[in-house]
Amino acid sequence: MHYKVSPGDRVFDFINYLIMILVFIVMVFPFLHLINYSLSNPSLVSGKFLFYPKQFNLDSYRAIFANPDVLNGIYISLARTIIGTSFMAIVTSMAAYVITRDDMVGIKFIRRYFVFTMYFSGGIIPTYILIKSLGLVGTFWVYVIPSAVSVFNMILIKTYIEGIPKELEESALIDGANDAYLFARIILPLCLPVMAAISLFAGIGQWNAFIDTQFYNAMHPELFPLQYVLYNSFQTITSVEQFTNSMSGAEKFRMLTPQSLKIAMTVITVLPIMLVYPFLQKYFMKGLLLGAVKG
Amino acid sequence: MLQRKLYRQRYLFLMLAPAFLLVLIFNYVPLVGWMLAFKRYQVGLGFWASEWVGLEQFKRFFMQSTDYVYLLQNTLSINFMMIITNLTLGLLFAVLLNEIRRRFFVKIIQTVSFFPFFISWVIIYSIANTFLSSSSGLLNELLMKWGILSEGLNILGESKYAWPLVILLEAWKSVGYISIIFIAAISAIPGEQYEAADIDGATRVQKLKFITIPNLMPTFVVILILNSGWILNSNFELFYMFTNATNWEKMEVLDMYIYKFGLQQLNYSYASAVGIVKTIVSIAILLSVNAFSKKMTGKSIF
Repeated sequence: MHYKVSPGDRVFDFINYLIMILVFIVMVFPFLHLINYSLSNPSLVSGKFLFYPKQFNLDSYRAIFANPDVLNGIYISLARTIIGTSFMAIVTSMAAYVITRDDMVGIKFIRRYFVFTMYFSGGIIPTYILIKSLGLVGTFWVYVIPSAVSVFNMILIKTYIEGIPKELEESALIDGANDAYLFARIILPLCLPVMAAISLFAGIGQWNAFIDTQFYNAMHPELFPLQYVLYNSFQTITSVEQFTNSMSGAEKFRMLTPQSLKIAMTVITVLPIMLVYPFLQKYFMKGLLLGAVKG
Repeated sequence: MLQRKLYRQRYLFLMLAPAFLLVLIFNYVPLVGWMLAFKRYQVGLGFWASEWVGLEQFKRFFMQSTDYVYLLQNTLSINFMMIITNLTLGLLFAVLLNEIRRRFFVKIIQTVSFFPFFISWVIIYSIANTFLSSSSGLLNELLMKWGILSEGLNILGESKYAWPLVILLEAWKSVGYISIIFIAAISAIPGEQYEAADIDGATRVQKLKFITIPNLMPTFVVILILNSGWILNSNFELFYMFTNATNWEKMEVLDMYIYKFGLQQLNYSYASAVGIVKTIVSIAILLSVNAFSKKMTGKSIF
């Protein structure tokens, strides 16, 4: 496009770039500060904007990775992310395929049955009582089973499948393929982009979740995900000695502070998302717009 | 005939079964739990044997206490200001970003502004604590170092900071995300409108004001309506992290109150009754926002 650049345009551009640079700083600096804080000598960081680490060292991380609660938290977080996301993807995509089939017996009822749940929910208390009476409290499965069906994702997948030419399905059916084969071998491979998008969203949701632990597993430290270990640390880490007392060579962590431990723990909790985000942002945007179009 | 069809579709039924059953158990069975609100639930007796008390729990909430006053005030004000702030900033940000012609720069800004959408409220709490805490937060350390204050501001604890705090944090988290929807809407504006404006000699600011922003209003209204129905259900984790013993008067919302009475004090029946009140309020908001926008802009979704 051709622009005639007037003085007014220049002023506009100047202010606009200034605003964008400000946005950049507001979005990026908090993370930069935390990362630099975690890599610094904690006695040198008070009252400073940290654009780089002061006296670079990894002691905070050494202390954290020597703590068994943190290691168990990483393990639980990874497990719930992988198992929970796979389970959701399988259960939801199978049902999504079924609701694209107009010839299915009772299809109108089935569609309404799922969509209705997007508008009404049982609320916190009835859901809690249900999960408790199912015996899921105090188990790992409370992270996986109640969130296994996402009706929102189901509708995204359904919309995507409806965009695939019907002839593919029809010709496979004429060749004598059964419905399960048709779904697994023909439809699902074509759904890879939408499956990737919903899995990423669900995976991030699983990694970030902590309130279900507060509700159902607060008495079961062996099931705390990393997010909850971090949340707990805000209240429980009052001294470095107490955090490191079970470790050998704890005296070498003497220069750490509770604050530096919490910040380093924050960084390792957010780091996996930071690392996957730049590569996957394209999928995220696609997934979001898929959702927005469908409303 | 039907039997043969059912047999032919047996694989479809097998594929549907897991999702169907899970939804039945986790979405439909809890609806029965709303009956708790009309009972006096006792743990020893269980759900079915507990005594029916009619509207007693509702009377307790509305007549024997005045909690509903501050709860409704906080819940409605905070959530409403949040969504308006998010949408307004998201729209302005999208419009300004769209005016930048260096694609690479646009991509970087979009990438960094979208990122906070993907981090948990625990992380945001930790960031807020690092920058704002009254003793060791960077802001207070700087203000004291420069001699502006002698004592740190207790932004996370004092109730007068509660609303701006959570509204700004929520905006920081979501503006990038909302702007993506608006950017998609901008690209759908027909080019002829801008060409006509060019011929009339309109400036860039005039084009934004009279073409771009008016064209985005339908999107604004639709997102507002779609979100207004469930704003009361969102952001539990935000309120869970930021409500505390010193700022609860301005921070506690219906969800936190339900959590406090239900899961902490185990008063299931009372908490369920408040839950029903919340659902009714949600539906009322949805319908009134819809009616309001129909009257003002002619746009509605029902």
